[in-house]
Amino acid sequence: MTMYNSSVDQRVDAALANNFLRQATRRATDRLRHNKYKATDELGSWEEWRNAGASIRSHVIENLDYYLQQLIQQTEKRGVQVHLAKTPEDAVAVVRDIVQKHDAKNVIKSKSMISEEIYLNHFLQADGVLSVETDLGEYIIQIAGEPPSHIIVPAMHKTRQQVADLFEPIAGHTLSSDTPTLTRFVRVRMREQFLRGDIGITGCNFAVANTGSIVMVTNEGNGRMVSTLPRVQITLMGMERIVPSFRELDVMLNLLARSATGQRLSSYTTILTPPRQSTESDGPEEFHLVILDHNRSEILGDKTFRPALNCIRCGACFNVCPVYRQIGGHAYGSVYSGPIGSVITPLLEKNWEKWGHLPFFSSLCGACSEACPVHIPLHDLLVKLRARKTISGHTPQIEQQIFKAYRYFFTHEKTLRRALRLGSRLQFPFVRNGRITGGPPPLSNWTKSRTLPMVAPKSFMQVWADLKLNRKSSE
Amino acid sequence: MTNANDFISQLASKLGRSTPTVPPPLIDFHVPQYRLSNPGERSTIFLHNWQELGGKGVIVKTEDQTVSCLKEWFGDLPLSWIKDNPQAILAWDSLPTLAETAFSTLNWPLARYTMAAPDPRERYSIAAQAELGITGADWGIALSGTIVTNSSAQRGRAVSLLPPRHLAFIEASKLRDNLSEVLEEVSALGSPPSAIEMISGPSRTSDIEMDLSIGVHGPIEVYVIVIDT
Repeated sequence: MTMYNSSVDQRVDAALANNFLRQATRRATDRLRHNKYKATDELGSWEEWRNAGASIRSHVIENLDYYLQQLIQQTEKRGVQVHLAKTPEDAVAVVRDIVQKHDAKNVIKSKSMISEEIYLNHFLQADGVLSVETDLGEYIIQIAGEPPSHIIVPAMHKTRQQVADLFEPIAGHTLSSDTPTLTRFVRVRMREQFLRGDIGITGCNFAVANTGSIVMVTNEGNGRMVSTLPRVQITLMGMERIVPSFRELDVMLNLLARSATGQRLSSYTTILTPPRQSTESDGPEEFHLVILDHNRSEILGDKTFRPALNCIRCGACFNVCPVYRQIGGHAYGSVYSGPIGSVITPLLEKNWEKWGHLPFFSSLCGACSEACPVHIPLHDLLVKLRARKTISGHTPQIEQQIFKAYRYFFTHEKTLRRALRLGSRLQFPFVRNGRITGGPPPLSNWTKSRTLPMVAPKSFMQVWADLKLNRKSSE
Repeated sequence: MTNANDFISQLASKLGRSTPTVPPPLIDFHVPQYRLSNPGERSTIFLHNWQELGGKGVIVKTEDQTVSCLKEWFGDLPLSWIKDNPQAILAWDSLPTLAETAFSTLNWPLARYTMAAPDPRERYSIAAQAELGITGADWGIALSGTIVTNSSAQRGRAVSLLPPRHLAFIEASKLRDNLSEVLEEVSALGSPPSAIEMISGPSRTSDIEMDLSIGVHGPIEVYVIVIDT
């Protein structure tokens, strides 16, 4: 399935021409980044927390077989129905099956990136099921029919007026575009949905292996609604989202809340050890845990990219990325955008044709790696992905030709000298103020927005030869 | 669906081994935890952080103080709520003694959520129509201004969730400095309750143009009374 009909270049051009988007993205990422710094500085020892987080995540990934087995045993022992899905299609089939079995018409959802990854809403809607996103940002983009533009603030790219315009047909009357009005509208509208929901679908921030607990964080409280009111709950998780015990959960929750939004803890942190006891008066009676692989096991088997599984989806790398900050999330074209999205999308989707552009959405400045609370070497992984793409032969013809030519000249010294001499003569029509400012394609791709230094009157090889001569004569 | 043994053994083979049968060693890590040098400060700091998130709070020593604080916060509103809806003030089956006596003194009748209706959907709609939900708490966290509640048959998760106002009573002895202390005590319970809710302030969102807005789904107003007798 594709979310866009446009090409990568068209999406980037559209993003660059959209002033509100660029302004909003900068404002939001600045705010998130600033809040993060405040929250990490006050802790006074952020590096120690990061190191602990990195050790915990690497340990879990290196022992994922053990911990996943333990999680399955612990949850099944309590009566949770566990479903292991190798592919997105498997996961969708599991959810559709549960929905059909209960003849459910109203599904309420809290935020789950896995549900985005498997395009769950699309399939549920095709079945005639009303599946409502209840996180405010997710609700906005669901009505707009768009993917999230930021992993933490999915509707970052929408103006308040656009939001009001999206809500008005549902409200059936005009809405003022101030935040309290829009929020109140959603509160009232969602209440009906919450109370009517047959099935609740949630994501999972962490699963605790030794107790079989599911941990969710939200700020709005919709996660609590979805896990309290419906009789049936389905929780979707990526198979790597595990901590061994509550001891490690402490570190991960601190890292997540502070890195994502600069909070000490999110407004609501919910630890479910489902299902509810028969004597309790709320909470789901029936609980399904869907665990998705979707090529995560391939990443696990590839030592180079294994650290990508350490991610806790905090979004800190988005907020510092100079590329993301210029173009926002939609230009990437993928469900997961930003630096981590550029790393995991080609690995999860295994399709260079479609996702080969992503590792190049980076200046390799390393800000993402520095921001990552669990020390994933993101920029390093991006370079390695570029290499993988090239080795697999998925580079454009022109690029291959250029490198062939490059190899030829640099292995034929005399030809190279002659070409340089020719170059220093041919450059003059394109020189303005001592810089090359134009040229035939593909050179023009560069000179459209930048200049090049002139070919020096004396080449390095000549300078070198002269130096050698001088040294000899002075001896 | 994929069989669990196959799924796990595939993962093990990706890690270059056969399915492990013994647990991996404990992870060696150390983080410097936030600790208050003087435990007497705990209530004050907890309250300060709770208020900073937008909650109201107070430390009380006596029933009289509790009554006057409740009057100050809610005035005569509860009496008018009750006229329209006898179940407007919804509570857990039992609250700390000081809370129970304060409400009888005030003559604000508490409806008990677990007994509000036999059918769960009816219970939810009663909770959604209530004006104030009242709970106790099992722990509090000073550093983050958080209250922590365990689910049980005598309680109900919806009490702190569906009404527009949530009031929690917490004994000062239940306050801890940081999250790790609470999680350690949860671990010591053996099997955790079916739901542990950690609540830090009112429901909030910044999803529209990063503009902070309070009360999108959960309670709009949150109150805490720390009982320090």
